[in-house]
Amino acid sequence: MDSVVTLRPPDKASALARFDIYPAYLRRLDDEQISTPLAAILALTELIENSNADTMFELVKALNDGAEELKRRASNPISLNAGCELFTAFVTLFPHDSANFADLKRELVRQGQKYAVEALTYRRKIAELAVGFIKDGSVILTHSYSRVVMQTLLLAHERKRISVFVTEARPRGLGIKTAEALTAAGIPSTVILDSAVAYVMEKVDFVLVGSEAVVESGGLINAVGSNQMAIIARAANKPFYALAESYKFHRLFPLSQYDLPSHHSKILSFPRPETATSLAKDEHGKKPSVRITQEQISENNPDVDYTRPDLISLVFSDVGSLTPEGVSQYLVGMFAG
Amino acid sequence: MDSKNIPRGLKIFSHFGLPKPVGHTVKGDIHPAIIRLGLLFSEFRICGANARAIATLTAFKKVIQDYTTPAQSSLSRHLVTHLSPQITHLVAARPMSVTMGNAIRQLKLEISKMDFDMVEQEAKNSLCEKIDNYIRDRIIFADEVIQDLAGKKIKDGDIILAFARSSIVEKVLLRAHEEGKKFSVIVVDSPPLLEGCKALLTTLTNTSPNPIPCTYALLPALPSLLTEVTTVLLGAHALFSNGAVYSRAGTALVAMMAKGHGVPVVVCCETYKFSEGVMVDGFGKNELAPSKITRSTGDSINVTPSTNLEILNPLYDLTPPTFITAVVTEVGLIPPSSISSIPLALGKSTL
Repeated sequence: MDSVVTLRPPDKASALARFDIYPAYLRRLDDEQISTPLAAILALTELIENSNADTMFELVKALNDGAEELKRRASNPISLNAGCELFTAFVTLFPHDSANFADLKRELVRQGQKYAVEALTYRRKIAELAVGFIKDGSVILTHSYSRVVMQTLLLAHERKRISVFVTEARPRGLGIKTAEALTAAGIPSTVILDSAVAYVMEKVDFVLVGSEAVVESGGLINAVGSNQMAIIARAANKPFYALAESYKFHRLFPLSQYDLPSHHSKILSFPRPETATSLAKDEHGKKPSVRITQEQISENNPDVDYTRPDLISLVFSDVGSLTPEGVSQYLVGMFAG
Repeated sequence: MDSKNIPRGLKIFSHFGLPKPVGHTVKGDIHPAIIRLGLLFSEFRICGANARAIATLTAFKKVIQDYTTPAQSSLSRHLVTHLSPQITHLVAARPMSVTMGNAIRQLKLEISKMDFDMVEQEAKNSLCEKIDNYIRDRIIFADEVIQDLAGKKIKDGDIILAFARSSIVEKVLLRAHEEGKKFSVIVVDSPPLLEGCKALLTTLTNTSPNPIPCTYALLPALPSLLTEVTTVLLGAHALFSNGAVYSRAGTALVAMMAKGHGVPVVVCCETYKFSEGVMVDGFGKNELAPSKITRSTGDSINVTPSTNLEILNPLYDLTPPTFITAVVTEVGLIPPSSISSIPLALGKSTL
């Protein structure tokens, strides 16, 4: 990361050309290590660099507008939202005693970039913390693909013997990616069907999942299937651990599955029934069959689900290992008042 | 003396003493505003935690303005002693609510912090201003924020269940309706006060331009209605540190049944209603409705106490935190387990 930050001089052309935050965000996401909230924070720092706001009020307004734009165009707004809110809160609370506003903007950009660099170390911190809970010879169940879970498992493999079951995580099938990476590293791992979670739960010592966001209630938002896994783990009395970096803590409070911002009317909707004329019987007197494609299935199904806090045993984060109640106390302490 | 005709008294809840008779006895030098307030309280004309707190503070403003510091004493020391008999008179009319207690405690704190050298009229004006600010910030503005936050959880097509009458739930529903959301309300009510019918239902069905579609039912009908309900909105008299909600009798039943049916239970509560204690049941602290109120339901069956029959009407009950999904306060939506961290977040050491 550069230590010198240069602000582009506000010439007429760039003043007229609106800074497009969405491509900046996508560019940041190209880096494998950067997750969506961090990419959002970095995109917002770029917005500050290119902004010609002269007062704090204008700057905060520009940031809020930028965040709205990102939310509108990104497909998965929840974790992105968490990053945007964190950065906007940081900017608002930043002590602005420097006389020169340009200096302040430069400082904010620097702080933003510094945070992003530091945030990349969070996964290591969480891995170190979680490895303490993994006993030698553990059988672990995980879901889909999560970078922080990968780092934890690879770190645990350096010191102990573990074996891993990974769910396939349809329809995107990211669980296969996890199993391939683990096998390449020498960790015994198998892909299991999403429907076989209850079948395998008795053999497992604990469940470890990553997160899209950890919410105000202490609950978890993660790839669809996590809630199912948590319910089955509770029924089989197995611990359910979630790994989450602190920039994924979000002030959202879903009252139910359908109260999530990602919920839209197409999910779980019934396709319009074909009318009698269009399903006219052919000459043999048989109705033409209805074909349902994999694409239609992915469209009608959710990407993420909400796991209630009473199903989660612990949340491991860079701020420490928290109970779900502890998460909400941390969030209230950070954002309330 | 015929011993058969003496009522034996309540066996349980007898530690609250008999329900206060509606008395007009005034002990000591009580300000007329306080006498009037005491009468309104004992007749249940002013009902509800917010209403009582605002009425008490408004009456105290009059008392403070009419007060003169005796010679050889200062306002900050003597005013509190002057207020004590007034408070006792109010408590004799009807036991103090948690909101009144918190407000009075704050008032006493402000009085003790008053500058020794301040001119008396200035001090009195400053106190009245502080009282106004307290009402404005912690009740009126807090309600505005809660209306916003809770309103976001109401979507088109929702069926909301409300129990009895809570001033803040009423405001939330009216605001959501003003914003154009299309929802319907089920008002569940319970005797003896029947606040749902007399107050909440009339307000909701009289909204313009088009009234909110409402269903009215008594508490025993609850199980058959819960399958239709999207969210349950409840008000609170007080919220304790362990997350338990102290509210109108019947609230605990509604919350428990809703939880059993997987319906989210949302409690709307301003932060000034928080109490630092911990409560685990409705027996330690409660209030019994006086018999005058019990008999005002106007039924043909008039139950009168006799040697073998006593009427028991507790006004409040306690909802354990496990039945509550979320609490809406002016600092945001919080799970009931995090209530104790709110004072820290607000930068205060106490509530």
